[in-house]
Amino acid sequence: MGEEGGGALKETLEFYSGKRNELIPILQEAQGIYGYLPEDAIKIIADFLKITLGEVYSVASFYNQFRLIPLGRNTVTICRGTACHIRGAPQIVDEIGKVLNLKEGETSEDMEYTLETVACIGCCALAPCVKINHKIHGCLEPGQATGLFNIAPRAESN
Amino acid sequence: MDKVTLTIDEKQVVTDKESNILTASLENGIYIPHLCYYSGLEPPGICRLCVVDVSGDIVFSCRSKVKEGMVVKTRSPVVDKIREVNFEIIMANNHMSCKGCAATGFCEVQKIMAFCKTDKKRVRRLRPPEKQFPIDESNPYFDYDANKCVLCEVCVGTCNKIQKALNFVGRGWKTKVEFHGDTSICEKCGDCVARCPVGALVPKGKAQIQKSA
Repeated sequence: MGEEGGGALKETLEFYSGKRNELIPILQEAQGIYGYLPEDAIKIIADFLKITLGEVYSVASFYNQFRLIPLGRNTVTICRGTACHIRGAPQIVDEIGKVLNLKEGETSEDMEYTLETVACIGCCALAPCVKINHKIHGCLEPGQATGLFNIAPRAESN
Repeated sequence: MDKVTLTIDEKQVVTDKESNILTASLENGIYIPHLCYYSGLEPPGICRLCVVDVSGDIVFSCRSKVKEGMVVKTRSPVVDKIREVNFEIIMANNHMSCKGCAATGFCEVQKIMAFCKTDKKRVRRLRPPEKQFPIDESNPYFDYDANKCVLCEVCVGTCNKIQKALNFVGRGWKTKVEFHGDTSICEKCGDCVARCPVGALVPKGKAQIQKSA
């Protein structure tokens, strides 16, 4: 986080009064600015709300929506809810994992992709489904998942 | 201060109007298993072990105020069953090997295990697989073993009153107690270590922190 980034957060903080119950909205705003919660941002927020770093970290680590490590430019979310699981989510996870060369929860080195799995995306009728950024790809079959990514041929040639 | 009289396990008990059932029984030598309650701290009511029967209602004694003429039973088949299940849920996420543990002898979990006559084999079957946290040695004053931690909140609650250095981190079975941020914030008072009911927080090396009884 550069100087400029800290400024953006401080600007946002001007809208808040500094009470502890504003922690979650502030964390959400900070994540909106940086895409994750850098340590410097946590420090600024802790100072602003007059709570300890540990308290901010405790809240940030509890909620799935907050990330302490940066996300890739594209987020690939694979559903492994009951319906998707039965219709082959494990194979989809394997396949996408191979294509992107990532494990669950990891981000590629070039910061292009982050692979994550969730308990349910909420479109069980389209099982098994995958969400790439905000677009949902449903009714996938093994082999199709690879086609969702531009990098597939490169990954195969490797 | 106003006093009230109540009956706990057929014993007449006179206690303070503001106290709760758990404090009243402990003061009068009637043991009710508990992990998250610590005298002087606000009971978080998360261990769910201090269940008692109050005229047929099952309540958590640490969060229930005493009332005049109350009839409390600390043991009954229903209470014992509920306590047993609640304890098994805690123990399923806890390793149970006491050998070499610093807390052997004063460990609350050992005491409750004996009290509830917990079936270790049954608990092992409930255990989620592959849970082994490394020992956290990041604090200069104590070591933390998440495998033994029962997440009772006593250390966190204690530190909240002092420095707010210790906090829960994570969620679900991955929850840990962690010391995060600037290490200079810890005042080295050792209260968290002394109050830990199990062997999760232990002094670093042989620090001169004595365990309270």
